[in-house]
Amino acid sequence: MMSVIHDTTLSPVKKVGRIFLRVLIYALLVLGAALIVFPFVWMVLGSFKTPLDANSAEFRFLPVEWVTNNYTDLFTNTNFPIIKAFFNTVIVEVSVIVVGTFVSALAAFSFAKLKLQHKTFWLLFLMSGMMVPYAALMLPQFRAFQSMNMFDTLWPLILPGFFGNVSMIFFLVQYMRGIPNAILEAARIDGAGHFTSFVCVMFPLVKTAIAAQVIFWFIGIWNDYFAPSIYLITPDRMTLQALLGSLNPAQNRQYLPMALAGAVLSSIPMFVIYLSCQKFFIESLAISGVKG
Amino acid sequence: MYPDELVRTAGEELPSPRVPKKKKVSVQERKEHLIAFLFILPPIVGFLIFTALSVVFTFVYSFQGYNSLSGISENVGFANYIDLFTHVTRAPLFGKAIVNTIVLLLSVPFSMILGLILAGLLRLGEIKGSKFFQVLYYVPAVSSAVALNIVWNYIFRSNGVFNTLLGLDVIWLDGDVTIKVAIIFKNSLNAMGGAMILYLAGMLNVPKDLYEASSLDGAGKVRQFFSITLPLISPVTFYLLITGVIGGLQSYADAQVFAAGNTGATTIVYFIWQQGIQGNNNQGLASAASVLLAVLIMIVTLIQFKFSNKWVYEE
Repeated sequence: MMSVIHDTTLSPVKKVGRIFLRVLIYALLVLGAALIVFPFVWMVLGSFKTPLDANSAEFRFLPVEWVTNNYTDLFTNTNFPIIKAFFNTVIVEVSVIVVGTFVSALAAFSFAKLKLQHKTFWLLFLMSGMMVPYAALMLPQFRAFQSMNMFDTLWPLILPGFFGNVSMIFFLVQYMRGIPNAILEAARIDGAGHFTSFVCVMFPLVKTAIAAQVIFWFIGIWNDYFAPSIYLITPDRMTLQALLGSLNPAQNRQYLPMALAGAVLSSIPMFVIYLSCQKFFIESLAISGVKG
Repeated sequence: MYPDELVRTAGEELPSPRVPKKKKVSVQERKEHLIAFLFILPPIVGFLIFTALSVVFTFVYSFQGYNSLSGISENVGFANYIDLFTHVTRAPLFGKAIVNTIVLLLSVPFSMILGLILAGLLRLGEIKGSKFFQVLYYVPAVSSAVALNIVWNYIFRSNGVFNTLLGLDVIWLDGDVTIKVAIIFKNSLNAMGGAMILYLAGMLNVPKDLYEASSLDGAGKVRQFFSITLPLISPVTFYLLITGVIGGLQSYADAQVFAAGNTGATTIVYFIWQQGIQGNNNQGLASAASVLLAVLIMIVTLIQFKFSNKWVYEE
């Protein structure tokens, strides 16, 4: 159906028509791409403007004067300590992902390969949590963390992650089922216990699947805004997104170029990860939709 | 994917219901049962604390009110639920938040239509750089919502680049309707890449011989699109619609960062945040709103489970 363009049996007139069609399609795709790219270009341009320039009533596309102090301010201004925010974000990322991934993979191993009683029940039990919105859990958790003196610390963002990630568990259960039982049997005959066969046999076999899930989780945590904005109020304790939110130029226009500079800086690590793993992002996404 | 299917694909034989399991469980087997359970214990404990218990407490709070005279919480029955819809001073904006949230869901079908068109263009033109466009169009989906909202707010200012480039003079950010249009515009654009990738994958899964057979029967491209492609990629449509609606019902950053609290764009979750966290003294009211939101989302999710195999084509 789709090979219209390369159909050699077409008459020259029709061929010209096909070429025209193809040019038109490219033009539309480039237009769409421009719409996608533009906000990022605008972000970068704005980050080099002075507050006066960025907020000026007279519209200018390029900065009147290219200034870098929006960036340098972020590194020196104690109200918006982006370096600290970066490290806070990394602390949340590393602790949640290291512990949470291990816990999730171990649970998935049990669901996929061990003789677990009431397997269906437990799986449905965990799955039912996926349909509860965070907003319906937020208030009791907020009160509890407050009463444990964990308000304005990173703990409310870290602790829930220690118990694993349900969507990661489900993904890994499906993946681990594809691993032949014979491999695990062999380990068992050699005297390996269940934990050893998980660590030494299963884990190395599903590394890539786990890596895939880790990247998605990493980006989710990196971009998470709601919980950090609720719990963190001291700039020194904020994650990157909470800090960016506190700079919101819709509330204070003077912050605009600095907020844009912060947006640029906080996006760079994401872009690096996304572009280096792009193939795998697109493929994982495509699979999720087709399987539904 | 359905839960029972997930379990059934285990490759193990299901125990026949007629044969009673009288087999004696060996010590080793019992040990495996125990270890298997210990392995799934952390997520279960996490679920019990952070989901089950939290839901129960939200439900309990929703029937409580804080008495400022006695300083303690007391049972107020359904008062919070009734106040949400009727009380002019306690909950003046809940009805508005519901309307806003639902209107803003329009970006879901828009992004799906844009994604479908883009996927169709990529297929029709046999575009060489198809992967390039897919990667590029998906960039907003992996970007931070806060960063995007900050820059989109800048774009939509009255003297901003949107008005200037299009020669318009619209006050996007302060109007009740215009701010919704602005949010729907940016969200449609930000979500169309994901829709495009999923539609493209769906289109590639349609068996080629169906098109060949229908060409022989004299069906044109347009006819083929509506009678073959569209019905066969309906699982993708359904998936995008449900996940889009569930995500949209929980929208918060748009109201908080992009609209900075403009009542034309406050959402249900923003209302909950305002009453329960920001004000910190209307937790009963906020909890009642949370319960209603949770019920709404559960209904949408159950629709997905129940009807996905009836509404959509599956092999």
